[in-house]
Amino acid sequence: MKKLFILLSTLGLAASINAEEMEVVGNVASKCVVIPDTAGIYGNPTADVLSTDPSDGGVDPIVRFDVIQASMYKAKISYPIEFSESPTLNDIVNWTGSVGTSQVSDTSMSGYDAAKIEFDNVTEFNLTVAGSTWFKTESQADYGYGKAFPGGVYRAVVSAECIAI
Amino acid sequence: MYRYLIILLLMSGEASAHSFVPTYPELKPSYVEGILYTTMSLFNARKDVEYYEFGVFNAEWEKVPFSMQNKIMRFKHLEKKKIDIYIREKDKQEVVYICSKSKLIITGASKTSVSSRVCSKVK
Repeated sequence: MKKLFILLSTLGLAASINAEEMEVVGNVASKCVVIPDTAGIYGNPTADVLSTDPSDGGVDPIVRFDVIQASMYKAKISYPIEFSESPTLNDIVNWTGSVGTSQVSDTSMSGYDAAKIEFDNVTEFNLTVAGSTWFKTESQADYGYGKAFPGGVYRAVVSAECIAI
Repeated sequence: MYRYLIILLLMSGEASAHSFVPTYPELKPSYVEGILYTTMSLFNARKDVEYYEFGVFNAEWEKVPFSMQNKIMRFKHLEKKKIDIYIREKDKQEVVYICSKSKLIITGASKTSVSSRVCSKVK
């Protein structure tokens, strides 16, 4: 009887120890991360053209946007309309370009291209799905009227903005 | 779904990323009368960027006066810093966006760089 009482008391104690609980607290806050994924390179298919198009020997720059919660941010991407570095140019450079999705982490992001808003050299995408989206920016610079670009280094800047809405 | 997103975001810290949080900061009274402040946090995982510029804007993207330790700050690679931004109480209704923008150093061959800007919206 005494043994049974000790056994039951021990089990009771064990049970009370098992009843201890630890809480794990987490917080998922909205966040946007901008990640330059691929550096762009200008190809020079003809003397008067610099282009990031792979068929012209260039590489399109790619930027990744990660959002942890849907519909909290918009992506605003601008293709360049001037060189940040170049030799002295004494004629007009005509810029053209476009921005579109190149890869998505969720199939429901496939509607981003159809819903994009374009004005001037800016393209806006509402990031309505949580996850990662890779945006590709094509740009082309045409110099004067068939004039050859002077030799030297040419650099331009793509602007990638993530704006809370 | 969130587990994969969190893993992805943690992995993105290893890549070349720029993040600026919180998404919706709140302006609180500071120790100086008539001055409000909010604390933001910037994480620089961009190897090609060492400096970030901060700005405060209204709904029309016009600049709103603000104060902070330095409006252009240095962030080493993988460095995270908390930043206090001070705004006059009389400008409270004007303030909509608080932004951080990467500053690029021009070097290298013929290529395009990416300038990143992340903007939070004041509640």
